[in-house]
Amino acid sequence: MRNSSRMAYPSLSQRLFSVWYRHMRVYTKNLLSNGLPPFLEPLLFLMGVGLGLGKRVMGTMDGMPYIDFLGTGLLVTAAMFTAAYECTFGTFIRLEFEKVYDGMLAAPITVHDLIVGEIIWAGTKGLFFTFAVLCVLMAFGIIELPAGLLTPLVGFLTGMMFATLSLWVTSFVKTINHFNFYLTGIISPMFFFSGVVFPVSDLPSYVRFVAEIVPLTHAVRLSRAVCASDYTPALLLSVAYIVLFTAIFGAMAIRRLRRRLVS
Amino acid sequence: MSIISVRNVNKSFGKVCAVCDLSFEVEEGTCFGLLGPNGAGKTTMMKMIYGRSSRGAGDGGMIRVFDYDPARDELAIKYLSGVVPQENNLDDELNVIQNLMIYSKFYGLPGSVARERIKGLLDFLELSEKARARIRELSGGMQRRLVIARALLNNPRLLILDEPTTGLDPQVRHLIWDKLRRLKAQGTTILLTTHYMDEAFQICDTVLIMDKGRRLLQDDPRSLLRENIEAYVLEVPIANGTPQIHEADLPAGVRLDRADGTLRFYAEQIDLLKSVVERLSGKQYYIRQSTLEDVFLKATGRALNEKQ
Repeated sequence: MRNSSRMAYPSLSQRLFSVWYRHMRVYTKNLLSNGLPPFLEPLLFLMGVGLGLGKRVMGTMDGMPYIDFLGTGLLVTAAMFTAAYECTFGTFIRLEFEKVYDGMLAAPITVHDLIVGEIIWAGTKGLFFTFAVLCVLMAFGIIELPAGLLTPLVGFLTGMMFATLSLWVTSFVKTINHFNFYLTGIISPMFFFSGVVFPVSDLPSYVRFVAEIVPLTHAVRLSRAVCASDYTPALLLSVAYIVLFTAIFGAMAIRRLRRRLVS
Repeated sequence: MSIISVRNVNKSFGKVCAVCDLSFEVEEGTCFGLLGPNGAGKTTMMKMIYGRSSRGAGDGGMIRVFDYDPARDELAIKYLSGVVPQENNLDDELNVIQNLMIYSKFYGLPGSVARERIKGLLDFLELSEKARARIRELSGGMQRRLVIARALLNNPRLLILDEPTTGLDPQVRHLIWDKLRRLKAQGTTILLTTHYMDEAFQICDTVLIMDKGRRLLQDDPRSLLRENIEAYVLEVPIANGTPQIHEADLPAGVRLDRADGTLRFYAEQIDLLKSVVERLSGKQYYIRQSTLEDVFLKATGRALNEKQ
């Protein structure tokens, strides 16, 4: 056997970058159709739901006007949705239909590099989608600056967190239609019950613990805290939750997808 | 020097033995062909060489590629090798150059080096005119050549090709064979799978015929032909009025193979076959030199397996 220190191949960071670069190039190839909706969606949502409904919602929620409350939540749900779609349908199509991974794994990268690169890419999309919502919120004048400029980083963490969960789900899926169970059964309900459209404290106590368990609640808390520059010790719990969740589901996703990719 | 060393390798999927006790060596600068029907274990064997498939649990045997074990050092092996998978898997959204640029990152090539090399490779595979074309605008043969160009990005010392010319027209097949021969002349070691006998005969120095995960025959193509099959074949389509021919009536040195619809007589001397023709009373017949395909069918049998 050769001495392993003499082995030549690109470094870990170069390998992760090359996976990220591939996704970035393919995504930005259709800049208009891929780049515009992230801005349009929050715009329409805030106009329709926020301005229309918001005027009828008297008073404040958690101490802020309703449109501010909703807007600061949308910052991270945008990251959640894009990461969830990217790492379910997107990953599955690359895995089963386009066979993109067969080509990539013929190059000097491992399954581990491939999946971690995928997670970082989903985080990047989360960052971009949060940034798009941020632009809309700035246009409406409903976000504090410069504090709000940090929210894309929360979007990055949120994107990575939902990427790991989605990849883990994808590792079980045999036909593409099964993703509907996950997206409409788990991701969409999270939008309504994680403190985005109304505070978690309004939930009856017997379902409130569910909101505390699911990941979006913690991403929303972090987003609101960053927007208000209101850092409390309790926020550390949410940060720890996000880090642990990403690490645990990331490890499980890699383990399971490795079995699927290396026969 | 051996570039690839495979010793007593085993791999099962459930109870099915995909690769059973297979051993072979691939010498530097030669072309080695794995031949077999679908489901013979060719692709599985190939994937084990670049770490895409794991060896069997327990006594999986030993594989060394450039002295590295693919189970441990897949990165080092893949950095020195180029792989052409069975399916093309190019990125449809991108054009030809962009597809190659993306892969140059996997090898850590600086942009200027990558551009220079891509230019040379497109030239080598006669794709320069298509440099800015979208993948969908390329024919099947062009896509295949592009995948080969992609595998050559890092100037590999070992080129691994899984069915490089399946489904391509004769012009493209000959072009690809020509390119592979030139790579070999430059010192590149080539490992390929194919079920085309003419492909193996054209470019391989050594051919291993396998079936059901086991080696049946291994030699250089000409010796395989010389030692495993008679030199000539007489083919007679069975039609109404084809005389009944019994093995016992045949001259010594003539072997009869009865397949559905065709009688095949094999012999070392063409005259022996001509004497058989005389008994056919003017029925349609065809005498030809035997090919590797005859060896292959003799070795693997004519019956279809469940994967064909």
